[in-house]
Amino acid sequence: MSKNKKRSPSSDPSPVLEGSSVSSSRAKEGRPAASKSNLSPLPNRGGAVLLFFLLAWLWASWWMGDVMRIASERSFFAPDTTLMHWLLQQRMGWLWLLGRALLTLYHWPLLGGLLVAALLTVGSCLFGYCLHLAPRWRWLQYLPAAAWMTWTASAGLNLFYRHEPGRILAIPFLFLVLCGTFSIITWLYKRRQMPLILREAETAQPSRSHFSLFILHASFFILIFALPLAITHFRHPYMRPLTRMQVQLMHNDYEGIIRTAHDHPAMSYRQTAGYYVIALARTGQLAEKLFDIKLDYDTIWTETYHGLPSASLNYHIVDCNYHAGLIRAARHYALEDLTMDGPALYTLKYMVKISLLEGDWKLARKYLHILYKVPFEGAFLRKYEPMVQRPDLVQADPEFAAILHNLPPYHTFEQMAEKPAFVGFYATLQAFSSPEMLEWSTVACLYSKRMPDFLMRCRKLVGTTPPRSIAEGLVIQAAKNPEILQAFPQLDMLMDRFQLFLQDARPYMKDRERGSEALFEKYHGYYPYYYFFGNLRSTRKPDKAEEQEHNKAGVN
Amino acid sequence: MTACSSKPSAMPQQFTEVSEEAQIYPDYRDVTIPPNIAPLNFMVQDSLADSFVAQVGNLVYGARKDGKIEMDTTEWRQLLSGARGQELAVNIFSHRRSGWVRYPAFTLHVAEEDIDPYLSYRLIEPGYELYRQLGLYQRNLTNFHEAVIYENNRAFVDEDNHCVNCHNYQNYSTQRMTFHVRGNHGGTIITNGSEAHKIAIKHDSILAAGVYPSWHPTLPLVAFSSNKTGQVFHMRHLEKIEVLDEASDLLLYDAEKNTVRNVLRTRNALETFPCWAPDGRRLFYCVAQLPPSVLEDYTAFNVAMRYDSLLYDIYSMPFDPETRTFGEPRIEVNASADHHSCSVPRISPDGRFLLYTHGDYGQFHIWHQSADLWLKPLEVESSYPLTAANSPEPDSYHSWSSNGRWIAFVSRREDQTFSRVFITYFDKQGQPRKAFLLPQRDPEYNTLLLKSYNVPELTKDAVQVSTETLKHIVYHTDAELATYKE
Repeated sequence: MSKNKKRSPSSDPSPVLEGSSVSSSRAKEGRPAASKSNLSPLPNRGGAVLLFFLLAWLWASWWMGDVMRIASERSFFAPDTTLMHWLLQQRMGWLWLLGRALLTLYHWPLLGGLLVAALLTVGSCLFGYCLHLAPRWRWLQYLPAAAWMTWTASAGLNLFYRHEPGRILAIPFLFLVLCGTFSIITWLYKRRQMPLILREAETAQPSRSHFSLFILHASFFILIFALPLAITHFRHPYMRPLTRMQVQLMHNDYEGIIRTAHDHPAMSYRQTAGYYVIALARTGQLAEKLFDIKLDYDTIWTETYHGLPSASLNYHIVDCNYHAGLIRAARHYALEDLTMDGPALYTLKYMVKISLLEGDWKLARKYLHILYKVPFEGAFLRKYEPMVQRPDLVQADPEFAAILHNLPPYHTFEQMAEKPAFVGFYATLQAFSSPEMLEWSTVACLYSKRMPDFLMRCRKLVGTTPPRSIAEGLVIQAAKNPEILQAFPQLDMLMDRFQLFLQDARPYMKDRERGSEALFEKYHGYYPYYYFFGNLRSTRKPDKAEEQEHNKAGVN
Repeated sequence: MTACSSKPSAMPQQFTEVSEEAQIYPDYRDVTIPPNIAPLNFMVQDSLADSFVAQVGNLVYGARKDGKIEMDTTEWRQLLSGARGQELAVNIFSHRRSGWVRYPAFTLHVAEEDIDPYLSYRLIEPGYELYRQLGLYQRNLTNFHEAVIYENNRAFVDEDNHCVNCHNYQNYSTQRMTFHVRGNHGGTIITNGSEAHKIAIKHDSILAAGVYPSWHPTLPLVAFSSNKTGQVFHMRHLEKIEVLDEASDLLLYDAEKNTVRNVLRTRNALETFPCWAPDGRRLFYCVAQLPPSVLEDYTAFNVAMRYDSLLYDIYSMPFDPETRTFGEPRIEVNASADHHSCSVPRISPDGRFLLYTHGDYGQFHIWHQSADLWLKPLEVESSYPLTAANSPEPDSYHSWSSNGRWIAFVSRREDQTFSRVFITYFDKQGQPRKAFLLPQRDPEYNTLLLKSYNVPELTKDAVQVSTETLKHIVYHTDAELATYKE
């Protein structure tokens, strides 16, 4: 060690494999390594590093790209102390601020993934250098990166929802900084060699040994990347489809949302169902395709701010209220999010849109002014800023036009609609300002199995060919009330299938949960299946956490 | 003088006059200001310009492309102290590609009278039902220092989460102060100098805990309203939120004896917003009569459904400080006769004027577009709006300065949602001047802040009790139950 201290790194061409007995002895002997570098092992060592980098990039941009993209939307960063004051006053606020700044690169998931891969790869190499690992143990240097990836996968929505999104990238960044600092200190005081990745020359090792080391590393990489993939897939199967749908919604890619939902027809979370409904409503397919996926009201459990279980009822509520035309209810929940979580891009963008729809020009300008401070939001600003004080432009925008078309037709209070409002309001709506509104209301009755209300709405459809699920709903009622067949003679064609369904369903009528599973493959998408075996949880009592989320109230 | 985007430091020698007015934010054009106010920093907005110069009196400041004119507090103070009762000309220059241009000058009117140097307010997001980080703060109006009076948890801790509201002082002094803590660690905080304690107002004979307070100007008494308050959210309406009382009464709390009693306890009327006259011999308050249709089937839902039928008038009752008894009420402002409603009565320190908020209906006027400040000279019957100070957006929650020459109030005129503090001069003839936005060190501050200012209260001195003491009292002491006494 004392000899090492006396050598300068540039004059020390000693072998590199720190920690190994070979390198130690060579270092002590002071033999030049350059003469033994004829095997050029850099590609092998570099190969493992490069492989890790590429796998990390793939994982961070493809597998987790949508998750991180939505995390960046639920985050907020602006280089302004007034705007970030609420974050900076938190413990470790500066670190979270830095993490949020890095997360903004996920505006482009490939770029964000590149950053993550770079942070993990360089951090791992520096960590290995600090630990002075022998080659055969060098795979251990990737353990912190593996732990971080496992954490991001296992956190589920807690990764960013109701939790500090700055943590996501602040942790690997901090890891990199700490390892970098420690590496520099180590290098300065112990005069050890720089990590291999930073050096131009490399030492000699038999190529076979390098190949086996490469295989060892590759095997380990498979393990550490498979673990977060498996966790995401099996423990939080909703994560990728849900965030995919959200990204698609950001781009108004409604057909994409429908495709994502149809790719996972057995997925029955209320949030994924919510985005599916938005897409169907926007494309006029609500009454045709709503029941194509399983709608079992499953809960995505997250943690509240204080660590208690939460049913995440409000995760998608702003999106749903907004697209259902209930912009006041959307504003309500967006402002609550602003209060509880501080500003987020997601919230601020909705506030801009809602303000424009309401004609609150000054307010729209305020939110736009704040978004001006945020990096990479130029496209949003270019689209919406010209609409301030231009109601003609607001009405000409296809998204806004659809929402304005479906504003509540009469004044009421939000509290008078059942929760969630976007279903409760439409299920109890008494007047309809458009055929779409009537259809939404009819389907909301079908969804909530309010058959008397459903039949009342169907009276307005007499003489028309009702859409598929409405016709199938009528079929159920026609079995009890033959007059329905007279009003809708085309239902005759559907009666045979209904009888067949009843035959298949009879064994399960006393065990609907089992019937739900057994008949899903054959009958999903068929309304009578949903009526008898779908959404069974909707009849249960809400659990305590759900109750608490509903019963928050106060006048500020 | 440089033509690049660095900050210029001297007046341009050559310039062209333009007729268009400078776009400045905040709008301090031709306002009347106290001689002890902090610098009126502002931003000039001109997309064609890359730098700016402002000449305020004999002071000259430059700004880069962001247009932020930020003045030195000491120089500003010297300028204003020599300009009491006078006018200050403001010239603004902007540097465009073609050279310097000068906009038409405007004037700052410096009043003779100071404003009380401290302003307390609550900062909270204008949310619907939830709260997280909020607090009571005190701004030194002579500079930009904002002190924390009390803050709830900065990091969310469920078991400690609470809201604070309704701060009030005795006669512009911070010797005695009160505010409420709602939620965990709840109670009403009463301070005396640098000490504080927590009380609970709760008894079968009273409707609910005390809400809107008013300290008697000399005695250790606080008049509270006691309200059962709820809110409904409009789905399609000009307004967004309607806060209303299902029931409300008036209480009198004795801070020395820790006793409380009902002042008005009625079933068919809603009494709220008590306010003592400066001599302490009369209590003003608001009253709405519940519509008969509501009384027939008295539920919170029915009250909410008749939200626009709740019209409040202002009444007053004589008070005998010796016997501590109240006399017969008399009506002061009969707004309901005109199918309007009024709230938050505040009497000028000289006892001549009743300042209140006037709106179309209800009492929580800060959510009503129609809300404006109105004034009633107490010796006459008629009232009038303070037009020069009002705006098309809600204007409410006003506070007189101790010399009666200034009124601080909140308004949503900036952006329709986030309420901000405005200050207006009130002359001896009972007329206001154009109101100006509370100045900030960074003139952009109010455009970025995502919290609202609530209940601005002017005081002559800084709050004496420390934040640490208040924190200890809130977190670590039990509320002392006030004794009910008829």
